[in-house]
Amino acid sequence: MELTVNSVARTVQSPPLTSLLTVLREELDITSPKAGCESGGCGACTVLVDGQPRRSCLTAVCAVDGAEVTTVEGLGTPEDLSRVQQAFIHHYAAQCGFCTDGLIVAATAYVGGGGSDDTGDIGEALAGHYCRCTGYVKILEAVAAVARGDTFDTASTASSANNTYVTIAGAES
Amino acid sequence: MAVHRGKGLATVEYPTGMNQNGDPSQAWIKVKPDGRVDVFSGTADIGNGSKTVQSQIVAETIGVPYDWVTYDNSNTDSSPMCTGTFASRATFVAGNAVLKAARQVRERILAVASRELEIDPADLEVADGAVSVKGTPAKSMGVDEVAGAATFVHGELLTGDGAHLNPGAAIIDPTTGEVDKPPHAAISYAACTAEVEVDDETGDVRVLSLTQAYDIGRAMNPTLVEGQIDGGAVMGLGFGLLEDCYPYYPTAEHRGDGMNTYHVPTMAELPEIKNVLMENPSSGGPYGAKGIGEMSNNAQPAAIANAIHDAVGVWVTEFPITPERVLAALDAKREGRSEPRREGRVVAFDEELSINSFTSAKTWGA
Repeated sequence: MELTVNSVARTVQSPPLTSLLTVLREELDITSPKAGCESGGCGACTVLVDGQPRRSCLTAVCAVDGAEVTTVEGLGTPEDLSRVQQAFIHHYAAQCGFCTDGLIVAATAYVGGGGSDDTGDIGEALAGHYCRCTGYVKILEAVAAVARGDTFDTASTASSANNTYVTIAGAES
Repeated sequence: MAVHRGKGLATVEYPTGMNQNGDPSQAWIKVKPDGRVDVFSGTADIGNGSKTVQSQIVAETIGVPYDWVTYDNSNTDSSPMCTGTFASRATFVAGNAVLKAARQVRERILAVASRELEIDPADLEVADGAVSVKGTPAKSMGVDEVAGAATFVHGELLTGDGAHLNPGAAIIDPTTGEVDKPPHAAISYAACTAEVEVDDETGDVRVLSLTQAYDIGRAMNPTLVEGQIDGGAVMGLGFGLLEDCYPYYPTAEHRGDGMNTYHVPTMAELPEIKNVLMENPSSGGPYGAKGIGEMSNNAQPAAIANAIHDAVGVWVTEFPITPERVLAALDAKREGRSEPRREGRVVAFDEELSINSFTSAKTWGA
C-alpha cells in the first residue's frame, strides 16, 4: 500500500488490517499518535486523513490506501511551528503531553474548517479527546485564540482571565 | 418533574509531602567553565512543571539567567535520591533541596570572585549572571568569567549539594492526642463552591460552575499553578460524578476494563471554572511555596454532593454520584424511607480486589 505521510510518499509493508496507528508508530517510526485506549475512546491517536481527523487506532491501513496522512510532525517544525502549535505553547495547553498531539491535529482541522472561537463549538469539536492534566481550560483558550486570528509569542505565556491573585501580606503559616 | 439548581461548598486542608522516613530529596549542582549551571535531582517531571520550577529556584538563588540552567534527571545513577513525584512534594521538598544546593554554589562563586576582584565576599552580590561590588555596580565580573577562573586559574569545581528531610512520622499519645513531632511541613487550605443542575426525572447532574480559592503559599510560576488547579477541578468533577473502577458491580469480574466504562470528564462536561489564588507564604517552603498538586482535586466532589442536596434535598453518600444513585436517593425520600447515612454502613476490605476498601451493603437507615 502507498501512503503520503506528512508530504512524503511511503510504501507500507504491514498486513492490510493492521491499524494505521501501528503502521505509523511501528513501521514508519512516527510516534506522535499515541496508543491510549486503542478502542476509539480517548482521541490520543488522532491523525488527519485527507484533512479530516480520524482515530488511527480504529482505522485499518488498507482503508486509507493512497490517502494523505498528517500527524503533528507534519504540521510544523521546531523552527517553524504551526499557529495551533504556537498557541498551545503560548497558552500552556499541554502538561504531560500524552493527549497533546491528537488535540493539536484535531484543533488544526477545526480551525482549518472555519471553526469559531465559541467555547461551546470548540468543546463539541474536541470533546472526543481526554485530557487528565489541564482541565481543558487552557486548551480551549488556545484553540479560541487561533480561531480569533491571534498571533503568538512562544517565548511568553498568556495569562488566563479566570484567575485572581490575592496576596496575604506578612501572614506566614 | 423538573430541573433544580443548587449550590454547595466544601473546604480542604492538605499537607505537603510525606513523613515516613523523612521523605528525602537530594540535589547537586555543578557549574561548567562557561558559567552554565547543571542541576542533578531525582525528581521526575510528569507534566507538573517541576523541572521548570526547580530551575527557576536555582537561577534565582544563584543569580544567573533562567536559560543558563539545565536540569538533568535523565537517569537514576547520576541523579541524587528523591522519593518521587507525588504527595504535592516536588516544589516544596525537592525545591528546598535545590535551593540549599544553589546557595552553596552562590557562596563558592562569591569566594572565587572575591579572590579575583580582591574584595571581601560579604561586599559582593550576584545577579543576572554577574558578580558585582555592592554599591559599585561598575566593578563586576561575569559568572562565566568566575567559572572560567575557577577552572583554569584556581583549579576548583564550583559545586553545591543540598537535601531536604521532613520530620519523621509522629507518634500520637493515645490518651491526650498529643503528637511528638510537628505536623507536615506546610499545610495548604482551599475552598470550592459548586453550582449544579439536577434533573429529578433522569437523575442527571450537570455542574455549571466551580469557583475555588487556594492558599498556594507563593506562585513560583503562576501559569503552572493555574494549570494544576484547573486540571484538579476537572479531575474532582470526574471523581464526583463519573469515575468508578467498579461501574456496575462490586466484583472484579465485572469491573470496567477501558475508557468506555471508566468515564473521564471531557470538554462537554467542562463547567465555568474561576480560581482565586491566595499567596500566603509558607515559612518552610522555598520562597514561601506550598504544595497544591494533590489537594486541587479534593474539594469538588464534596461541594458537588452538597450542591445536589441543596437542589433536590437528598444526600448521595457514594461517589461517583451517578444518575442511578440520584434517582435511588430521590425514590427513597419519596417513599418515606430514611435517607442513606454514613452510620451503620459496612466498610470491607477485600484482598482479591486489591483496593484499599470499598463500601458495600447499602444501608438505607433503620
